[in-house]
Amino acid sequence: MRIRIERERCVGAGQCVRVAPAVFDQADDDGLVRLIEAAPQGPEAERARKAAQLCPAQVIHIEDQG
Amino acid sequence: MSAVAAAPRYPFARESPFDPPPQFARERARAPLFPVTLWNGARAWVVTRHAEARAILLDDARFSGRMAHPDFPTVTEARVTVDRNERAFVGMDNPEHDRYRRLFTREFSVRRMQALIPGMQALADDLIDDMIAAGPPADLVARLAVRYPSLVMSQLFGSPYEDHTFIIGCAVARHGLTQTPGEAETKARELAAYVRRLIDAKERAPGDDMVSRVIAEHVLTGRLSRDEFAEIGAMILRAGHDTTTNMIGMGALLILRDDALRARLAADPAQIEPAVEEFLRYVSPVQFSPRRVALEDVAIGGVTVKKGEGLFLSLPAANRDPRVFADPDTVDIGRDNSMHMTFGYGIHQCLGQMLARYELQVMFATLLRRLPGLRLAVPLEAIRFKNDMQIYGVHNLPVAW
Ligand code: HEM
Ligand code: SF4
Repeated sequence: MRIRIERERCVGAGQCVRVAPAVFDQADDDGLVRLIEAAPQGPEAERARKAAQLCPAQVIHIEDQG
Repeated sequence: MSAVAAAPRYPFARESPFDPPPQFARERARAPLFPVTLWNGARAWVVTRHAEARAILLDDARFSGRMAHPDFPTVTEARVTVDRNERAFVGMDNPEHDRYRRLFTREFSVRRMQALIPGMQALADDLIDDMIAAGPPADLVARLAVRYPSLVMSQLFGSPYEDHTFIIGCAVARHGLTQTPGEAETKARELAAYVRRLIDAKERAPGDDMVSRVIAEHVLTGRLSRDEFAEIGAMILRAGHDTTTNMIGMGALLILRDDALRARLAADPAQIEPAVEEFLRYVSPVQFSPRRVALEDVAIGGVTVKKGEGLFLSLPAANRDPRVFADPDTVDIGRDNSMHMTFGYGIHQCLGQMLARYELQVMFATLLRRLPGLRLAVPLEAIRFKNDMQIYGVHNLPVAW
């Protein structure tokens, strides 16, 4: 799995940090999403998928490699 | 469509205090949305299915959330006036919305909100101490549900707590279903003027609070004017009071009416967090927002929403959609309710949601720990539910211990 974020459309709602804190963070200066782990594995990958589903601005994109 | 004549008058009355009006489930079984007639005779749509509500809230190109739009739908005449005069980002479309919201996202980050938990804990303990000292019976709404979010907000804003009755009065004036346009607008102006005075005071004597930080970071650097900040501050104050208050009253009622749930939460505080999420889904206190207006004709679920028609994305309805939540009318703290829409969806999704979650978790955990014998002091029939408000909850909750 690879994660791509469109930071310029993030609204800082923090859903991603709430459900997948090992993958996402919010930057100290603007509260917008920051990717900590672009290729999470195992349970972290599942949490990242949940974050992508919940993100209210739909700016988290998951690319699965075959 | 012949439904034009038949479109029922909205809003509807509840039949059960715990469930949204029965029309939602009936209409949802037939279609994702149905037409209604508003107080002014305008035709609008109520969207009852979760998937369509989410899709519309993401479709900024075809649906506007601009409250000043002449066709923006409202459930009261008073709301038209305050919506037209809404100057904060809750009433803006992009790109303006994100530009303003982002000046505040840092203040509401998950980490910032976590740092407020010890302060919330102290406030919850103090309020419960006071309630215990005064002795039973007590009205949990007046004692805790109203005061606690207010104290949390006054810490966040660095505003004097004595001002809280005034602030609550301003929030309630917007969220009622019976105010005149003049009353609602007067309160909106008074609250913005109040925040403007707070900004001036903080500019002279900064503190360790949100208002002082935003002044230093955005006002003094020219990104945000003092008047814009006053409007946004007023909006945040309104948004942070009533909603959380009603969740505390309703959540406490859900715990106290169900001995098994109460025993489970008392025995295992780790269950508080999932319980709060389920209470949020089940209660859905915000009744008539989010709203949108169609910017062009849009075909959805077999009907055409015409350009200029309004839509209510009903959160209470979406949160009871059986396509997403099995057995939706049951409180089940073990279910996966992560898709609940209680904080809205899309770019306007609640900025204060983490604050609200932590406030609720701390309050319910503290209540159960401090008052194991807490019980309702009256039968359910003696509780007055807020059928007269745009934010649902209880007016009173008499308890004893
Ligand atoms: C349980 C408590 C709460 C609930 C159920 C709730 C619900 C909501 C909902 C449904 C919206 C979207 C409104 C729309 O789209 O028109 C919203 C927006 C908002 N809420 Fe909350 N809220 C709660 C608590 C709070 C708190 C504590 C704060 C602040 C301290 C807050 C601040 C805001 C702000 C600033 C917005 C506007 C966001 C935007 O337009 O970008 N809310 N809330
Ligand atoms: S959930 Fe989405 S909008 Fe919210 S902070 Fe994360 S990326 Fe940004």
